[in-house]
Amino acid sequence: MKAFTALTAAELRLLSRDPASLFFMVAFPLMLLVLKRGDGGAVPGYLAMIAAIGGMGALPGLLASYRERKVLKRLATTPISPILLLGAQLVSQVAAGLAGSALLVVVTVAVFGARAPGDVLMLTAAFLLCSVMACALGFVIAAVVRNTRGASLIGMLVMFPMIFLSGAAVPRKALPGSLRQIGDFLPLTPAVEALGGAWSGTAVPFPLLILAGIIVAATATGAALFRWE
Amino acid sequence: MEAIEVTDLRKSYGDTRAVDGVTFTVRAGETFGIIGHNGAGKTTTVECLIGLRRADAGTVRVLGEDPARRRRALAHRLGVQLQDSSLPERIKVAEALRMFGAFYRDASDWRRVMERWGLRPLARKAFGDLSGGQRQRLMLALALVGNPEMVVLDELTTGLDPIARRETWRLIGDLKAAGTTVVLVSHYFDEIEALCDRVAVLARGRVAATGTTGELVARTGTASLEEAYLALEGADR
Repeated sequence: MKAFTALTAAELRLLSRDPASLFFMVAFPLMLLVLKRGDGGAVPGYLAMIAAIGGMGALPGLLASYRERKVLKRLATTPISPILLLGAQLVSQVAAGLAGSALLVVVTVAVFGARAPGDVLMLTAAFLLCSVMACALGFVIAAVVRNTRGASLIGMLVMFPMIFLSGAAVPRKALPGSLRQIGDFLPLTPAVEALGGAWSGTAVPFPLLILAGIIVAATATGAALFRWE
Repeated sequence: MEAIEVTDLRKSYGDTRAVDGVTFTVRAGETFGIIGHNGAGKTTTVECLIGLRRADAGTVRVLGEDPARRRRALAHRLGVQLQDSSLPERIKVAEALRMFGAFYRDASDWRRVMERWGLRPLARKAFGDLSGGQRQRLMLALALVGNPEMVVLDELTTGLDPIARRETWRLIGDLKAAGTTVVLVSHYFDEIEALCDRVAVLARGRVAATGTTGELVARTGTASLEEAYLALEGADR
C-alpha cells in the first residue's frame, strides 16, 4: 500500500507538471463552456471529453514512453509489481479528470447559474466508469502500438473523431444521419448518455452496464497484448 | 555461503544463443566482475540473475532464491542499476529517491542516501534536466536506497567524467567494506582491476575463464588484465 501511494502521488505530481494535460483537462473544457455561454446541457458531453482526453489522448503516449525509455524495466527490478504502476497511472488519470470535472460543474452552476446536476452521486459514478473505460481503451492502444510517437498519434486519431461523433463535443442531433449511425457504435456514446442522464436526474442503467462491459473487454485485451519492453 | 550460483545457464532469442552454458559462483561479500565485449551475453546473464528473464535451461540461485520464481521477494534484498534505463522526464531527484525508498521493506533513509551520493544540490532538479553523469549517479543511488544485501551494477561508470568515476569507485569501496556483495558488469579493465576480487570473462555466451586478475594474467602469460582478456577472448574463438 505504501508503494502504491508513493507511485500514485508521484504520477499525480508529474501529471500536474504537464502543461498539455492541465490545459486539456482543466482550461479547455472551461473555454468551451464560456463559448457556450454557460449552457448546462453541454456539460455532460464535456465531462466525457475530459475523460477521453486523459485516457485516450494522454495515457497511450505516456505508457509507451515509459516502456521505450525503460522506465518500466527499471521499476520491474524493484519489489513492486509492474501491475501496480498501471494501477497508479489509472488512479492518477481518473483523479485528475475528476478534479477537472468538479471544477467545470462548480463553475457551470456557481458562475453561470445553470441548474445543479440532478443526481450528483450518479454523475460521479458515471464519470468514474467513463474515465476508467477511456483509460482501458488507452491501455489497449499502448499494447498494440509499440513506440511513443505512434501510440500518441493513434490515441489522438481514436479520440478526436470519437468526441465529435459520440455527442461529447457537439450534440448528436446536429450530426448528419450517417455520422450519427457511426456514433451508435462508439464506446464514448453510452458514456455521454450515462452522464447526460445523471445530469438531468433520470436513471440510465443500460449505458452504465455497457461501459462496465467495455472496461472488462478492453482490460482483458490490453492485458493479453501488452508487452513490458 | 555463496551469494550467487549459476550452473549451465542457457538463453536463446530465436536462433541466437545469447547465453550458451554459463557457470560461475559469487561468494557473499565479494566484488565480482563480469567482463566481455558487446554481445558476449553479459546483459542476458544479469537479467536472469535479477529475475527479469527466465532461463531456457540451467539453474540460477541468488541469495538462496530462484530469481525467476521469487523475483519480488528477492528484489527487496537486491539493488540494481540497469544499462540505459531511465525515469520520467519531469520527476525530481528527491521525489525519485523518496518513491523508490517506499518500494522496499527495509529501506535506508532516502535523505541520507541523497546526501551520501552528493545529490543534495540537485534535489529539486528534474531527471530530464540532469547531465549524463548526474543521471548515472542518481540511478546508482536508487539502486542502494533499498539497503540491499547485494547490488548488480551494469555499466557502472559509463558516461561519468574521470573525477565522478573515481568518486563512484570510492563509494563502491564503502559498499565492499560494509559487506555488500557487488556484481559489476563492465568493459573498463581499470575499473574491474581496481574494484573486483574476482572476474569472469564472458565470450560468445560462455565463461572463457574465472579468477582473480592476478590468476588470469598468470594463466595467459600476459602483463595486464586487458592483455589477458584479449588472449582469452582470442583463444576461445
